[in-house]
Parts: sequence; C-alpha cells; structure tokens
Amino acid sequence: MTLRHDSRLPFLLAAITVLLAFVLTAGDASALVAQESGLPGTRVAEQNLRPYWHVFAAYTIVITLIGGWAFSIARRLRNLEERLVD
Amino acid sequence: MTGVRRGAIGLTLLGLAGLIGLFWMSFFWVSTEANQGVVQRIFYVHVPAAWTSFLAIGVAALCSAVYLWLRDDKLDRAAMCAAEGGLVFATIVLTTGPLWGKIAWGTYWTWEPRLTLTLLLWFIFVGYFMVRNATEDPDKGKRFAAVVAIVGALDIPFIHLSVIWFRSLHPQPVVAKPEGPTLPADMLATLMVGLGTFTILFFGLFLFRYALEGLRSEVDLRARRSAA
Repeated sequence: MTLRHDSRLPFLLAAITVLLAFVLTAGDASALVAQESGLPGTRVAEQNLRPYWHVFAAYTIVITLIGGWAFSIARRLRNLEERLVD
Repeated sequence: MTGVRRGAIGLTLLGLAGLIGLFWMSFFWVSTEANQGVVQRIFYVHVPAAWTSFLAIGVAALCSAVYLWLRDDKLDRAAMCAAEGGLVFATIVLTTGPLWGKIAWGTYWTWEPRLTLTLLLWFIFVGYFMVRNATEDPDKGKRFAAVVAIVGALDIPFIHLSVIWFRSLHPQPVVAKPEGPTLPADMLATLMVGLGTFTILFFGLFLFRYALEGLRSEVDLRARRSAA
C-alpha cells in the first residue's frame, strides 16, 4: 500500500487544460471586445459597476483558494489520523 | 500535540486575523487611487500573493538543494509542502491579475514578459508535482522534483526585473526599488499588512501541511510493517 502516489496527475492535467483554454481563448476574445469600444448608451451604466464586481471576484478567489487549501489539509489530516487509530 | 502543530495553529489563527484586518483596510480604510479607481484595491491581495509564491519557490528550492546534498526525507517533505502552497498563491496571482487587467488594460490577458514568466512559474509548480509522481521509483521522483524546484527559483529574478528590462504593459515596481517606496502612506500600510498576513498564513498552512506529511510517512511505515 502506498499513499504517496495518490494519483493527483489527472487533476493537475485537468487544471492545466482549463487554464490553457482560458488563457488562449479569453485573452484573444476580450482583446477583440476591447477594440470595439463603441458601446450602446444603455451598457455604459452597467460598466460603472464592473470594477466593483472585479474587486469582489478577486477577494472571493483569495478566500476560496486559501480556505480551500486549509480545508483540504484538515480533511487529509483527519483521514490519516482515523487510519492511524484503526 | 506536537510543536509543529501548535506553531501551525498559532500562525494560521494570526494569519486569519490579519486577513480580516486586511479586508477591512482594503474596503473601508485605504483611500481610492485617483487614476484607476476602485479596481486598484485588487493590488492589496495580488502583490502579497505574488510575494508569497516567490517565497514558496524559494523555500522549495532551498529545501530541495539541501535534500539533494543530505538526502534527508524531511527536507523533501518541506519542499513539497512549500511547492503546494506556492501553487495556491501563484493561482491567486494569475486570477486576480487578469481581473484587474480587464478594467485597466481592457483585456484579461496579454503575452507580455511579466505575465508570461508568472504563468511559467505556475507551470513550474505544476511540473514539480507531475515529475514527482511520474516515476516508478519514489526516490527518483523526489530527486527530479528537487531539480525542478531549484531551476524554478531562477524564474523569480526574471519576473521581478522583466518590467525594467523589457517594454512592458505591467506597472513598474512601487515598493521594491532603489529609491524606496513611492506609495502614499495609507496604501503602503495596507500593502504591508497584506504582505505580512499572506506570509504568516503561508507559514501556518505550510506547517500544517508538513505535519500531514509526517503523519503520512508514519502511516506508510506502519502499513509496511504490518505487510511484512
């Protein structure tokens, strides 16, 4: 029985694929949108709140990732402690 | 409870308190930057996350180098724990940066030197775990991963100096520069709280992760003994 090789490879490969897809598509697509800066008047008001959403999303990501790492460590610790008791 | 766990709990609680303080300062205390507006507040988590990912690859590289010399498994475990933390904080950098960039530059991503080198750092963290798990012999995997961490640390000076060496969209350094910080006092204070908080949180969770690996090796040892 080996615990070290717990096969995180599929997860890592999936993460790389998602990130690559985001970088390669979102970057180009958003650059195109940025070039077309002539927005209709009704959307200008929506844009005023957009920075707030981005700040909110950034701080949410911070909480989610740091919290996720902490919970992941706690879960793995608990599992190992249970196995040690068994 | 071991000393490592006590230290981990203390640092993590201190880090969480710091995080609450940082969020309060970012949202309610620090003044809004005149040119960029509210989106500049992403800076107070983006820069500390970048600093922490640099710290993580530094710790991983240092532990890896000494591991290659002494072949002490504790050093390899420490390097792996630092690399895992580095991956988390590098992911924060690579997600919060584009959120700022979309408002400031009009695009989430552009292949300019600092962004590209930071993405490379993220791949180095991922590569560390891929190399580690890709070999049949665990010891060989540890050695290969140690080399990845050492080589990965060489990326850090390039990331820092890329905005000076190359024509770059990314803002120039405002703190780590020869003539000293050029930020207003309240922004500098908020940034410093962020840097301190993220560093303490990293070391707190790093110690928890290290305790986990210690426990895992104990479980492995017991499993091998009972199988023999």
